[in-house]
Amino acid sequence: MMSVKNKKNILSISLSVFATLFITTLLLLIIGKNPIEIFGLIFQDVFASGYGIGQTLLKATPLIICGCGLAICFHASLFNIGAEGQLNAGSFAMAIIALKMSGLPIYIVLPVSIIFGFIVSGLVGLIPAIIKIKKGVSEVITTIMLNFIVLGIVNYLLLDFFAVKSTMRTEKLADNLLIPKLSEYFELFQGSSLNFTFFIAIILAVAVYILIYKTKFGYKLRAVGFNDTASKYIGIKNNKIILLAFFLGAGITSLVGLNFIMGYKGYFELGFSNNLGFTAIAVTLLAKNNPIGIIFSALLFGILDYGGLTVNQQVPKEIMFVVQALIILSIISIDKIVDNYYKPKK
Amino acid sequence: MNAVEFTNITKKFGDFIANDNINFNVLNNSVHCIVGENGAGKSTLMKVLSGAYIPDSGYFNIYGEKKHFKSTHDAIASKIGMLYQHFMLIDDFTVLENVILGNEISKGMKLDFPAISTNLNELIELYNLGLDINKKISELSISEQQKVEILKLLYRDSNILIFDEPTAVLSPYEVDKFFEIVNKFKSENKTIIFITHKLKEVLVIADCVTVLRKGKKVYEAGKNELNIPALSKAIVGEVSHRNLDILREDKETQTSALKLENISLRKNKIIVLNGFNLELYNGSIHGIAGVEGNGQSDIIDVLCGLEKKFTGKFEPATLRTGVVPDDRIKKGMIKEYTIGENMILKNYKGNFINHKRLTGISEYIITEYDVRVSDIDSPMQSLSGGNQQKVIFAREAESDSEVLIFAHPTRGVDINATNFIHNRIIEQRNKNKAILLISSDLDELLSLSDTLSVLYKGRILKTFENIQKLLAEPGGNNKLVESVGKLMLGIE
Amino acid sequence: MNDILTNIFTITFAAQIFRLFTPYYLGASAANFSERGGIINIAIEGFMISSAFSYALFAIVTGNSLLALFMAILINIIFSFFFSLFTVKLKLNHIVTGVGFNLLMAGLSKFLIIFIFNSSSNTPRFEDLPNAPFLKEIPHIGEVVSDYIIIFTIALLFISNYILFKTKFGLRLRSSGENPEAGDSLGIMVRKYKVYGVLISGFLSGLAGAWLAGNQNSYSDGMIAGRGYIALAAMIIGKWKPTNIFFACLMFAFFEALEISIQISGTDIPSQLVQIVPYAITIIVLVAFVAKTKPPAADGIPY
Repeated sequence: MMSVKNKKNILSISLSVFATLFITTLLLLIIGKNPIEIFGLIFQDVFASGYGIGQTLLKATPLIICGCGLAICFHASLFNIGAEGQLNAGSFAMAIIALKMSGLPIYIVLPVSIIFGFIVSGLVGLIPAIIKIKKGVSEVITTIMLNFIVLGIVNYLLLDFFAVKSTMRTEKLADNLLIPKLSEYFELFQGSSLNFTFFIAIILAVAVYILIYKTKFGYKLRAVGFNDTASKYIGIKNNKIILLAFFLGAGITSLVGLNFIMGYKGYFELGFSNNLGFTAIAVTLLAKNNPIGIIFSALLFGILDYGGLTVNQQVPKEIMFVVQALIILSIISIDKIVDNYYKPKK
Repeated sequence: MNAVEFTNITKKFGDFIANDNINFNVLNNSVHCIVGENGAGKSTLMKVLSGAYIPDSGYFNIYGEKKHFKSTHDAIASKIGMLYQHFMLIDDFTVLENVILGNEISKGMKLDFPAISTNLNELIELYNLGLDINKKISELSISEQQKVEILKLLYRDSNILIFDEPTAVLSPYEVDKFFEIVNKFKSENKTIIFITHKLKEVLVIADCVTVLRKGKKVYEAGKNELNIPALSKAIVGEVSHRNLDILREDKETQTSALKLENISLRKNKIIVLNGFNLELYNGSIHGIAGVEGNGQSDIIDVLCGLEKKFTGKFEPATLRTGVVPDDRIKKGMIKEYTIGENMILKNYKGNFINHKRLTGISEYIITEYDVRVSDIDSPMQSLSGGNQQKVIFAREAESDSEVLIFAHPTRGVDINATNFIHNRIIEQRNKNKAILLISSDLDELLSLSDTLSVLYKGRILKTFENIQKLLAEPGGNNKLVESVGKLMLGIE
Repeated sequence: MNDILTNIFTITFAAQIFRLFTPYYLGASAANFSERGGIINIAIEGFMISSAFSYALFAIVTGNSLLALFMAILINIIFSFFFSLFTVKLKLNHIVTGVGFNLLMAGLSKFLIIFIFNSSSNTPRFEDLPNAPFLKEIPHIGEVVSDYIIIFTIALLFISNYILFKTKFGLRLRSSGENPEAGDSLGIMVRKYKVYGVLISGFLSGLAGAWLAGNQNSYSDGMIAGRGYIALAAMIIGKWKPTNIFFACLMFAFFEALEISIQISGTDIPSQLVQIVPYAITIIVLVAFVAKTKPPAADGIPY
């Protein structure tokens, strides 16, 4: 027999998918486009070629990574709105250290720059954690402020010290330092920049899943998220959990740099994240903070992202921002409505 | 004439029937006590009468008029007012703001402060409440806050007053004062529905008693036919004697487990602990008696290492404590977690959680601590209060703590679970644990404690050694109760 | 001569501060009315984007700036009604809903600006809101004192204090944010007041966005530039009290005015670093001075 929980999940997910399709169709009709034609185009471009699949996965990769970082924070009820700043700080640090080490072999450069980027992002994440612990200031407001601060500093450092003249990017890493692209091994993905970071993202999602649901740390983390008064009396060191959650969560967001810098473009560019830190919030919430679910919600957003590009001739690709926002709003509301439906009445 | 006629009131929560076809009448201008154990359905019934819950079936006749309340607003319009057990006050508002909320006197858009102040001050004087209407609630004591709740009823000129366990938070002296107010209400032709589970109070104040058990009305009697054995039997029902009474082992030499010397603590500039001294011994239960809010929760926080800004001496520097906190749901458990998941937060070796081991832990607790649960994977919030408390108790008792702190371990717990927990506390004592028992239930303290201290305004006023010996002396019980009672109020 | 120059500089500077102050205080008051009712509204940024864009759209299409103002506010009130549906009716997490609405507003404006105006950055130019004609002629401060919305914003200090603390509505709104059970037990329709709080929030943030667009005679993508978030910061620093929030907004406006004059003066202070000053100040103030900020007791708790 199916448990009520599973029934609820299946019902709310299918209703949400339906609602999303419905809203998108409506939106297309309002602006006078043929939805069937648009959906057909997206479907064809995304799924019918290896290139399309590759590009979709490429778009999904950073969302999976960033979503996993956020999931750790969200499980502890820490509303980290600061991923945008955190991931930029770490990715920038990653790019700079890798550039400084050019000449060294990849098996040294890669781990060192990953660790360095992770630590820089993690430290940025520690700021709201420490302020929350010491001063009781909500992390929501500090992480929002820190986004602006970190982006300003990165902007300044990049343009004044590291950028290639009259561009907004660093120099390019040597080719031998880049993470290999899948197309080098599989004919199928020819032309796509999909690289092995995708697999790193999948492994990361599984690891974070185990961390959250199968370890004692994960149980403590969620206990703090559910009830931080009780956890304190049970003997959990709440502050330690908050610091660790923020450090790990923010640190993980730095790994998006692997995809863009070490795997795709080979350099750090201003604005490369394009609000990734915020979109990832939606991806994470959509998956109810479950890392395995995040893989799928990131894929959905990847399809929308790349699908938007393919129909840009017919409809401005920015329509996908609207669709993404509508998805998140319809899912949280439908989920609640389904939940209420199954709840015994008061 | 009847003020209220409860007519076929039934209220269900899912499958659970909280009130099962309740019928009885409350006479006008009387004090009608409703008695029953926790979970008997008293509070639910009163919430139905106050319009907070809508009954599944049934209705009320209020002064002979048939009423279906759809909201608290409807009940208030019928001049029904409720004094809630957990006060419905806004800490950051003044007394005035709290009282007028919902029935504001306005001049145009603006609140008419002069008229309101005159009105309130008249009522305060008339009923001798002694409140300053411009003070914020957060500056008031518990009994003053209760007076604000009473002022709310007076301001609304309610005729039918529901008091939900109003004496639970009051000291004996304050209870007397409270009864004076109740009698004044009665003399003004008001009707009082009084919820309690203290039989002594029923005998003093009641004109009529209705007993509820498991959602049903089981007993009803007027003042003259009141009979204590019948009443208590109706309340408790069949007492199961399944639990063995564990004997208190004699302990000869005692080693000190913990010593607090001259501990002082300020919170928001208010002194909450003031030269507090305490020494706990292995194999001994040290009871702390006192009216709530005299520093009990601060002692717990200091002992658990959650509060570090105190002055004074704390030995030893590191200590493994287990605590059953005073507020089960807020402080005691993760209600979204299962029994097993709550257990592993404290007692789990290893970093990875294996589902099989988790189930094993749950099963062990369920059998060992007699926890009633339909599905071992259901979350704690689906358990009854007594079973939740058993799990929390189990978690702390099973941990390798040197000192165990039990704060109100049986509050809101039915009589069977209470017996069970009391036995287990003695068992922990016999296992040579050092135990601190904080309670406002004097019976509980006397039956369990080896040593009993009275806490008043953050300091120990007096400590009684060898409680069990004192109790065994002829008349010892009364003597002890009397002096502890006076100390609790700071009279001696 | 030198004295006069300094003098002019000061008055112009002060006028500049009040211009920068206006969207902050409107936004912060918007957030405050919502939070006083217990609904955290981090979508102020999104609401300001929506009204700035709607104002632009209707100003261009109808050529009537008053009608555009009306439509911008109306659209915001509709959006805020949906916001209240999510937070009050469905009792969804306020932060999550806020993030969703911010994404929606930002997405919609990005999409529509391309779809309607065929540009990814700017709309065509349009009319500003009408001013008081005679006052406008006053030297240096004419622009400010003739602007009805700036005057309204300054008056909002008194209006907010009056509504929140002297009226029945304010008492009930605040009770809904402090202890909704208490209000409920007294027969107050708590949820209704929460919705009112959010709707006022929509109205005031609507004014803020429309004023910004009108003032720049054009809508450009990203023009709100975090002002909604600064408004939130001002509300927190101001401890949810209209008077304190007023001064917090003045402080932010002061630093922004300073930043602008530094930029104009062409010193070699990097502009990126000057731009982060208000955000850094917010954190510093929160850490150093308002450690124990106390929001309404039931703020953010669905009821």
